[in-house]
Formats: sequence, structure tokens, C-alpha cells
Amino acid sequence: MSISTVWTVFCKELVDVLRDRRTLVFMLVVPTLAIPGFMWATAELASHFMHKLARERVRVLVLNPQAAPDLVSQIRERASPLGQALRLAQLLEAKGLGMQDLAMVEGEDPEAFLRLLDRRGIDADALFAEIATEFGSDALDRSPGAILTAAYPPNLELVDSLEPALGDPRDPRSGKQVLLEAVRTDAIAAALELPADARLRLGSDRSARLTIHYLDSSDRSAMAFKGLKGVLEGMGRQITAQRLAAHALPAGFASPIEVTPSRLPGPGLLVKLAGQLLPYLILIFAFLGAMYPAIDLGAGEKERGTLETLLVAPVSRLALVLGKFGVVLLAALISALLATVSLALSLELGFLSELSVLSGGSFSFSAVEVLTVLLLILPVAAIFSALLLALSIFAKSFKEGQSYAGPLQMLILLPAFVSFLPGVKLDWCMASIPVVNVSLALKEIFTGNLDQHWGHVGLIFVSTTVCAAALLAFAAWWFRREQVLFRS
Amino acid sequence: MLSGARSGTNGPVAEAETNFARVVVRELVKVFADRKRGEVRAVDGLSFEAAGGEIFGLLGVNGAGKTTTLRMLSTMLRPSAGDAELCGHSILREPEQVRRRIGFMSTATSLYGRLSAREMVTYFGRLHGMRAEAIARRIDELFDLFDMHDFASIRCDKLSTGMKQKVSIARTVLHDPEVMIFDEPTAGLDVLTSRTIIDFVTDCRRRGKCVLFSTHIMEEVEKLCDRVAVIHAGKLLANERTEALQSRAGSGRIADAFVQLVEEHAGGGP
Repeated sequence: MSISTVWTVFCKELVDVLRDRRTLVFMLVVPTLAIPGFMWATAELASHFMHKLARERVRVLVLNPQAAPDLVSQIRERASPLGQALRLAQLLEAKGLGMQDLAMVEGEDPEAFLRLLDRRGIDADALFAEIATEFGSDALDRSPGAILTAAYPPNLELVDSLEPALGDPRDPRSGKQVLLEAVRTDAIAAALELPADARLRLGSDRSARLTIHYLDSSDRSAMAFKGLKGVLEGMGRQITAQRLAAHALPAGFASPIEVTPSRLPGPGLLVKLAGQLLPYLILIFAFLGAMYPAIDLGAGEKERGTLETLLVAPVSRLALVLGKFGVVLLAALISALLATVSLALSLELGFLSELSVLSGGSFSFSAVEVLTVLLLILPVAAIFSALLLALSIFAKSFKEGQSYAGPLQMLILLPAFVSFLPGVKLDWCMASIPVVNVSLALKEIFTGNLDQHWGHVGLIFVSTTVCAAALLAFAAWWFRREQVLFRS
Repeated sequence: MLSGARSGTNGPVAEAETNFARVVVRELVKVFADRKRGEVRAVDGLSFEAAGGEIFGLLGVNGAGKTTTLRMLSTMLRPSAGDAELCGHSILREPEQVRRRIGFMSTATSLYGRLSAREMVTYFGRLHGMRAEAIARRIDELFDLFDMHDFASIRCDKLSTGMKQKVSIARTVLHDPEVMIFDEPTAGLDVLTSRTIIDFVTDCRRRGKCVLFSTHIMEEVEKLCDRVAVIHAGKLLANERTEALQSRAGSGRIADAFVQLVEEHAGGGP
């Protein structure tokens, strides 16, 4: 076997594969466009339906409203997107801050909101000064959650009764079942139950226990619960402030301990997300990229009747397998790298870059990390290529080849998914499981922990390379077997 | 007798000695393991010789063992027993040397649809280790001969059946092989395309090639073959000159002689 023969076979197979639209689509188009396309579509659709749901007016049944009529009328006033809320929303939207943006930064990290304002070129002090001028100095605190609640209050219609046909919700035995049926049939989204002594307790510096009945499997009901809870908590804060003022007590009296989260300047949420997603996508796209060329160059050769033509050429079977394997491997690598670059650019530069507001950090890889990633992808892509080529050589037709590749894909998906599992660490045991080891090693690299795992990476590279070489040797042996080549 | 002294020799003198068109087959056996039928002897102790400048026909019904025999001679399959030499090279010990000296063509040897006619032929020239200039020169000759220049750059999957057969022929003879193996090359082809093939086979004999031609079409044997081996159920029933085979039957027709041989074999006759 000469290298020039392998090169001749490689070049011909490459031309052949590049002229096949099906392979080109799976090798180039899908990995480049699928990931950003899928993420964009998911984000857009989720945002669209969330907005729609948030603006929808839903009914909330108030049980026992006579227990605290003032409280009910306050809730009614706050849970309506009119007046002040509408004006505040218009002010924020004019500055490019929509409901989705505020919801995105409404988390634990207080700096996320400031980073969002900074990203949009909005001066935080100027914004809050404008809000104070427009709505009064104590209108809002600076948390995105409070702003979100104030500008986009829940759109709730409080009702006192249900259709008689649904039954009596106050019945101690069947009440919950009646409420469940009412929520399931969209007669109401939730129910608020006031205790009989609510007014008395609130008026005597005590707390009143209000109950919200909701169904967490229903989006509409869960949304109503969240909105109602936000309104009640806001009212609670206001009552606390009034009580403290009445007793001449400082604000700290009611909240002796305040917790401020302080995020360390390490890898943020974006990096964590990338650490989970990228290994999975790299492995899946390496497999998908290899799948069609492998089937085409093995089973396709049999189906088209070119196998005999090739087998009577004076070249060794090993040279033929190596030439074909080279093209399949190249396709796997191109596909995996395009998927990686596409996702990385989508996260860093594209519309997904908003996520970096959450994270407060972004990607940056050293040359050593990039090289290590490539060194790990190479043998695992070789494993997929050799495995798929061996299966393809066995298959009698393209269709049969696809039917073998399908279940194999499921077998690859499972170990690749390990990067999503919480708490699974790369240790010596994990480093010895093929595919799982590369998935975990890539995760560690993408989350900036390569320096902790040099030993593991070395073991993974060697073991994966040995595994790939063994599978390639198997494919070459397989290609010499008459029972495989001339199955009938 | 197999020329054991020649096989395995090297150097220009030995090369010149072995480089002649000749096929010697001795006691060739091929056994397939079949899940339902157990062991199947597709070829059962076949022996024959064919020389340069003659067309040697392998005649038999479908499943007689013709294709298996030719696949063994072209080293695609390895014999279970026996051996054969093509141009002095053993199919067991020197399969690559054998493949350098044969041109193999059948209806199953298709073309790469996504390559053009020229790319297809060039690829096989490279696999045969030919230099780029030699390939280009030979392609010019062959494309002139078969009038292929008009479709040289067209992808093979866009060509008509006749054009495809011409590309197949050019691919087969590009390296000027001494032995030509045709396995039912006209099966399923129309009259005009078959004529192209038949003319080409005849031309191979004229140029001194050793031609092995398998078919189940009796008329082709009568028209083309100098000698015929009749194969049935993997066994060789007759190996004689075409005229001798014809004279076996009173009608003077190969078809009748063939039926007579098969019946004699089935009845355990002479």
C-alpha cells in the first residue's frame, strides 16, 4: 500500500462527496445554521407567547372578599395595566427596555440589570431620576423585579363568584375539586382566599394568611399565581413601611439581615451553558457530519454497483478503506467545527449575546485550550467515522445503512448528554469511558478548568486514539471479508 | 500445470517472461456458507486454460457458477481450494499483480455517477499507477477510438446507457491489460449497445488479448467464442472448441448441445 494510492482514493471520494447535495447539507448547512436557527426560533416563539400570555386578562376568584374589602380593591387597582403602569412601560420601551429584557435580568445577580442598562447605553442614574420625576421619588426601588411588576402588572379581573354549574368553591369537602375544574375549563386562572379575620389582623400589626389556589401545570394559572403573589408582596412591603413609620421604627427593624449576592469574576452562566451545550453539539455534529459520507462511500458504493469496479483495481483494500475513512473523518471534523464556531459566534456576537448580560462574562480561549479541544475532537471523530464506515460496508444499500446508523446515533446521544448532568465530574473512572470522557473533558475546557485535568486529558487522548485505531483496523479487516462485501 | 517457477520471480527478465496473455485454472473450488442451505459449492473443481488471441466462453445458466469463477479470477473472491494463474501470477499469492493485468467488465461494474467520463477514467488510471501524461495520452486515444470527446466532461449519471458502456470500456482497457474478463456484459442492454460491446470483445481477440467471456446467451457463444467451457452447478461439463461443441448435437446448435450435456449430467451419463 502506498500513500499516493490512499491520497488518490481520498481525493476522488472527496470530490464525490462534495458533489452530493445531501452530504453537503449535513456537513455544512445543518451545523452552520441549525443551532442559531433553532435557538433563535425557540427564543422568539417563547417570547411571543409569553407576551401574549402576560397581556391576556384572566379571572381570579376571590373567596371571602368581605373579610377585607379595602385589600381587595387595592389588589384590583394594582393588578391592572392601566394608568401609571402603562406610562412606565411606555417610558421604558422608548428607551429599548422591554418586558422580555427585564424578565431576563430579574434574577439573583443585582449587577445583571446594570450590565443590561450599560449594554443598551442607558445611564442608570438618569433613568431612575426620570422615573422619580414622573412617578414620584419613592415610586420604585431599583430592582428589575420591582420595575417589571410596576410596569407590567398582572392583568387580573377579580370576581366574587363562579358559574353555579361548576359547584360551590366554599364547600369544605368539594371546594378544591370545584376550583380545579374551574381552572381546567379556563373559567378562572386562580383563586385568592382571604381569612375571615384578615381585616382585624392587618389592622392590629399582625399578619394575615392569604391563600392562592392555582394549578402549576397550567401556564395561565401559574402566571396568575406569580402576578398575584408579586402584587401581594408589594402591598406587604408597603404595609410594613407604614407600620414602621407609625411606630417610629427604622426600616432595618423589619429586615435585620439583608443578603447581597456578589458574583465572583469567574465563568458565568453563559460559560456554564456553553460548557453543557458545546460538548454535546460537537459530538452530535461530528457524528451527523460523518454519517452521510460514510453511508455513501460504503453502502452507496454497493447500491450503485461501483464496488466491483473498484475491487478489481490493483490497490489494497487497506488503501481503499483509508482513503474513504479520511474523507468521512474530514466531514465529521468540518461539521463539528462549524457547529462549534456557529454556536460560539451566536453566543458571543449574535442575538444570543443578550445572554452574556446574565453571565457577566464571555468566551475567551487560549491557543492551548483550542489546540486541546481539536486534539480531543480528532480521535473521537475518528471513532465515529470508523464505526460508521464499518456499518456502511456491511449494509447492502443506502437505506439499510441509514437503518443501522439511526440506533447507533441514539447510542452516541446518551454518553454525549453527560455534559448536561449536574455534578458529574471528570475523574479517572469517567476518563476511561469512550465518548463520555471527551464530553466531560470538553466541558471542563469550556468552563476554564483545563489546568485541573491535564492528566485526564492525556489519558483520554491516548485511549480514544487507541480505540479509534482499533475500530479503523476493524473496518479494514471488515472490508476484506467476502461475507461482508458480497452479502446476498 | 501451474507455472510455479515463474510465479514469485522478480526483475525485468522474469517480468518479460511472465508478461503474456494466458489464463491457467486448476481445481478451483468456492464454497459459500449459507444459513438455510448449509455449505454451497458454487464452483466445484474447475480447471481450464485460455490463451492470448482467443475468446474463451464460460457458458451456463444463471447460478451455474460463472460469476463466482470470474470473481475468483479477478481476485475479488478468494478460492476455497485450487489456484489460477493469470499472465503467470497466482490469484492467491499475487492478487495485486493479477489485477494490474486484467480488465474486468460486467453489467454490475457501474460508473461513479458524480464523476465526469474523463474523471472516471483518469481515477482508474491513477489507481493503476499510471503517470498523469500517460493517462492523458491514453484517454485521448481511447476517446478518439470510441468517439467519446463530446461527453467527456459530462457527469456519468447524465449519460445514456450506450455512452456509459463506452466509458466502462475505456475504464477497462485504459491500462492495456493482457487478460480481459467479461461477465455477461450484454445482459439487459439494447441491441445497439450490445453491438458496441461485442465489437469491442472481437477487437480484443484481434489485438492478441486473452478474453474470458461469460454468458448464458447461446447465440453470443456461437458468434464470438473460439472455445467454450460449459459449467453447470459449479462443475465443468465440457471444455472444447465451439465447432466441436456444436457438433455434439445433431442440429449443430450450441443450445441443443448445452441441454444434452446438462441432461447427461443430471442422469449421471457420460
